[in-house]
Formats: sequence, C-alpha cells, structure tokens
Amino acid sequence: MMAYTGKVLRIDLTTGKASTEPLNKEWAKEYLGGKGLSIKYLYEELKPGVDPLSADNKLILMTGPMTGTIVPNSGKLAIAAKSPATGTILDCSIGGHFANELKYAGYDAVIIEGKAKAPVYLFIDDDIVEMRSAADLWGKGAHETEHLIADALGDVITLAIGQAGENLLPMACISSELYRQAGRGGIGAVMGSKNLKAVAVWGSGGIEIPNIRKVSAALNKIKREDTMTDDNMWAYSDGTPMIVDLSQSTGILPTRNFQEGTFDQYKNINSDAVKGTLKAKKACYACPLACSNYVKKGKTEVEGPEYETLALCGSNCGIGDLEAVIEFNRLCDDYCLDTISAGNVVAFAMELTEKGIHDFGIRFGDVDNFLKMPGLISTREGTGADLAEGVRAIAKKYGGNDFAMQVKGLEIPGYEPRGSWSMGLAYGTADRGACHMRAWPAAVEAFGDIDPFTSEGKAELVIGMQDDNAVKFSAIFCDFWALSTERMAEILSMLLDREVTAAELTKIGERVYNLARLFNEREGFERKDDYLPERIYSDKLTTGATEGKLLPREEYDKMLAEYYQLRGWDENGIITDMKKKELNL
Amino acid sequence: MKALVFHEKKCIGCKLCHLACSAQNEEIFNPRLARLVITSCYDRDGLIVEGQVCDLCMSCVEACPVDAIIEKNGRLSFLEDLCTDCGLCVDVCPNQVIVKKDRGIGVCVQCRSCANWCPTEALTFEEVNK
Repeated sequence: MMAYTGKVLRIDLTTGKASTEPLNKEWAKEYLGGKGLSIKYLYEELKPGVDPLSADNKLILMTGPMTGTIVPNSGKLAIAAKSPATGTILDCSIGGHFANELKYAGYDAVIIEGKAKAPVYLFIDDDIVEMRSAADLWGKGAHETEHLIADALGDVITLAIGQAGENLLPMACISSELYRQAGRGGIGAVMGSKNLKAVAVWGSGGIEIPNIRKVSAALNKIKREDTMTDDNMWAYSDGTPMIVDLSQSTGILPTRNFQEGTFDQYKNINSDAVKGTLKAKKACYACPLACSNYVKKGKTEVEGPEYETLALCGSNCGIGDLEAVIEFNRLCDDYCLDTISAGNVVAFAMELTEKGIHDFGIRFGDVDNFLKMPGLISTREGTGADLAEGVRAIAKKYGGNDFAMQVKGLEIPGYEPRGSWSMGLAYGTADRGACHMRAWPAAVEAFGDIDPFTSEGKAELVIGMQDDNAVKFSAIFCDFWALSTERMAEILSMLLDREVTAAELTKIGERVYNLARLFNEREGFERKDDYLPERIYSDKLTTGATEGKLLPREEYDKMLAEYYQLRGWDENGIITDMKKKELNL
Repeated sequence: MKALVFHEKKCIGCKLCHLACSAQNEEIFNPRLARLVITSCYDRDGLIVEGQVCDLCMSCVEACPVDAIIEKNGRLSFLEDLCTDCGLCVDVCPNQVIVKKDRGIGVCVQCRSCANWCPTEALTFEEVNK
C-alpha cells in the first residue's frame, strides 16, 4: 500500500486492551483517509441513534496517505466521532505534529472505543501502547496537561482535553501543542466522556517509497512553483487575520451577535494590529506556508488569534481590545473551548442581557466579564452553567431563538450570510452544522467577483467546493494550499501504487460528502434541519456594504431546492437510491 | 570554507529539512534519521526554537580511531567498511547531528538538501570562519 502503514490500532478503554488490524484496503481506495475514511469507519461501526457521550460512541484519529511524507501541507490529522453538539457526524481537522508522529509509530489510524473506569491517558510508543492513570491530570487545563506529560515522557506529541472536555461541554475541543485545536462540535467532550484525558505518541519509524529522491525533487519543484505562490503566501505574510479587513469592507464581519456586519473598532483587531504583536511565524509539520502567528501583548501570548477568533470573540462580542481577545483565545485553548462557539455563546448572552430577556450580567464590550467567561463556562460555574450548553440550549431555556446563531446546534462562524448568500447555503448544508470549512464560497463571492446578493449559481458553487474540500481533507492537504484536483492526483500517484486521476478524486469527494449526509440521514436529519436562524431571513443589516440586506427565505429555499436537485437528493434532502448506487454507498 | 548555518529567527518549525535530509541520505522519510536537529516547540516559558547543524568542526574526524570519517574539500565522507561501531564520533559531536544506525553512522555531507527545501532561508550554505 506504499504510503499507508496498512495498520489500524484499536483501543478498548473499557477493557484496557489494545490490538492491531489491517487497514481496510477497499475503503482506503474509495475514501483515501482523513475525513472520508474516518466517516466510513464510523458509519459502519456505530449503531444508529448512539448517544454521543456514551461508551458506544467511538473516537477515530485518522491520518492520510501523505501523512509523514515530504508532501507540502500534509501535516494535519482528522479526528472524528458522532457529535455531542449536533448529533451529526463530526470530523475535525487538527494541525501540528501529531499525525506524522502517529504514522511513524506505525499506524494509519487509531480507533478508541468504550470508557475507562477512571481517568486515563494513552501513550503510544511504536508498538507499545500503555493506558496510564490520569488522576493527577484530571481537572487541569490542556496546557499544563501537555507540560506534565512532556515532563514524564519527554519528546512526545500530545492531544489533550481541558476542563471543558472533562465537563462534557458541546463546545469542548481537543488541543495539541498548546494552540492547535480540533475545534468544533464537542469532539473534546467525546474524549471526556471516555475518561480519556490525553493521547501521547512517539514514533521511531519512517515511510519508504520507491524513487524517493526523484519524488522529493519533483515535490520541491511543486512546493516552489505551486505552493509558495501569491495565491497562498498570504498565509505567511498575514495568516487568517487578513480576513478582518475583507469582511469589514464587504459588510460580513459578525458584530454584536450578528446584529451588524461591520465593527467600528475593526482596526484594533485586524491583521495590522495582530502583526504589531507578532513574535514568530509557526508551521504545522511539512508546511512551508506557516499561517500561524505566535503573538505576545501585555502579559498574554498565544499562537493565534485566527480570524474566526477575532470575529466571534472580538467584533461579535463588541470587544475591540486586541489584548483581551488574545487572552480570551489563550484561555479557551487551555480550557479547550472552541472559540467560534464560545464567542457566539458570550455574544448571545450579551444580547439576551441587553434585550432584558435574561440577565447574564454581561453586555457588549464588557472586557472584564468577557475574560471571566471561558473559566465560568468550562467549569459550569455561575452563569456558565447555562452558557455551557451552547446557544441552541440557551434559547430553548430563556428564549431568543430567532437570534440564536446556530445551524443543527453548531454556532455560526465569522461570515455573515446576509452579505454572502452562498455562505448561508454552505452553513445550511454543511455536514456538521454551521461550518465554514466544508465550503468557503465567500472567498470568490463576497470577497471576489460573484454577486453575493443573488441565489443564482450558488448551489453549484457550494457543491463544487464541498466536494473539493471533502477529497482534500480525505487525502489530507491543508485547505490553505489552493491546489487543483489535477495536482492532488499527480502527487497521490507518486505515493500510491496506482495511477490516481482527477476524475477519480472528484468522485471520491462526492462520495465522502454523500456518506456524511447518509450518516446524518440515518440519525433523522432532513430538509427542516438545513435552515438558518430567523435573524438571517428577517432582520435587515444596518451598516456598511450590507446595509438593508437580508437573505430572504424564499431565496434560500430556491438555493436549497436547486442544491438538492444537483446533488441527486430528493426534495426533502434525502439521497436517492440512484445516487447511492452511483457512489457505491 | 562554506558550511550550513541555521538562522533561528527565520525558522517556522516545519521540519521539511529533516524530511529532505532523511530522504536524500537514508532513502526514507524519517525525521529522526536526519543529520541535523531543528526543534520548534513550546515549554512553560513559551516558544523555543533551536537548531543544530554540522558546522564542520572536525571533532568526529579527530575522534575516529580508524579514520572512517574523513574530510576532503570541506565535505565529510564516511567509510563504512572501516567503521567499528565504537560510537565515539556520536559522543563527541558537539551538535549531536551524527546519526547512529544499526550498522555505522550517518554524517552530514553538506548535500544541502535541507537548505534547498527550507521555505524561509532559515538554513543557508554560506562562508563560515574556520
């Protein structure tokens, strides 16, 4: 299988037993790895209706065929489970250096099942797999957990959860190397529910492929001519904070819980402001683009803040104080809160308070209380007890459902759909709830040449991007390398013992996206779940380039109907038998 | 004499240098077989970036009791047939960039694969004072 190790490590936390089995080659061919292959395993192995926080849910760590090789931007890892936040399929993508280390330890994937009797962490040391007591780590943040594990084990790479994961929050993430996160959908709570505090790995092996010197030389040329180009080097020069100015100028910067699309203090939190605090650029394994900014301001530091954090925890909370956003970011990374969901929750609490619906004791722009939130939410203390459950649950208890900014229970990322109608459709049809990583059409629409305020052509645009990203995240290329499917095929052909074509990859992307939908369909999801919060359809924005704009419900319906039709799904969003047959589902 | 030089301020910690070195010299992607050691990680005090490369200090050449490591025109060569696996070179290398293998060792031959791959010119091949 060449670049695959061909081996899966299965760990049953209930019995403490670890075993290995061959990677399912047929599935690897149809789903590649990463997102696709982890969803395939979950689809086959999880019982429908399984409680995401029960011992019956499974957590899968999945590499891809290029992981551990010199292929640029191949350093990420997929982590998948059924989502505690949404009840949908959930696959997250985390950067850093864990994926390659796992591959060097000899595994394509780890499947973690069951539930440990008491808190444990796993140490994967090549073929030795130990389940160690995490009694001394439980209750600690992810940062101290990683430090303590490094003290004990030395040169390992660790995935860890903080208090949010232990307390089973639907917005709990998994951290690695302090500032890298598998962020969304409560993936950290799945670890917490299994009494699994951390997974540490060390691998001594390597990956051998024929003609390795020739292949490396070809890849170095590709790196120079296709990776490190103007299309991608924004990642190095700025990183994602550069989007703040773009969103502000196009009126899609979520502000004060999506009440407006521009923020008067945006210059305090834009890329120029972040650059003023930059200490070093930082990359994931095998990545020449180094999108990460390691910053320090005042007494705080973080690797970040990314655009999503600047938008959701900055403008969306009315916070124009960069140091406060950096500190909030650091706290979230340590407690293991997803900053997109946490920012949304705090902003929702602010609006509910200001509107007199329920007093959470915090208002827009209130920095002091803002900085108390990550701790209160993660430990479910005080107002955090309610806020910990996410905006959908808060709205159910206190009201404000029309402006609870979520889809399927997952809070909305940093692109206002009223100024980017394709983003609305992308959020509605994303497999894990409101997500900007399944498709990011704002790039070519609101930020590009396509009219953002029309439904025309948007279904096709979103589908194309969803399928492209599905195959990209299955082969595991970072999304920040805007590479063509032909280029993906060229590179995979160098590493696999078969010729891979662009057409085959396009089909894989479609198959992966449909399998994710099929998983959700089995869990009862359908058309009614593909809608956005009422605010998007009925509250006009009032400032900037999106002043007076809505995404009218009938236009959304039009996009959705066209989307289903082009997907080969019926009008209720159910995959037709013909489509299933075509994709071998 | 020219040799590899590491510029820590430019390093992004991608480890492409490790991969390039192991691919070129050991025909495997295995960062632990690379003949340089670049570290970029966080400890309790923040980000640490450190790098060691062969600076042609000749400690290994001088230490080898059987002349299995020789220097010619500013490049080291390793003569496996002469090596007795005593490990002295690995012990004396001040930069710890000699790789101990099952049989013999790997020394940096200044092939510059690492510098050719480095995306930020954190590794360069330049004149050094010797």
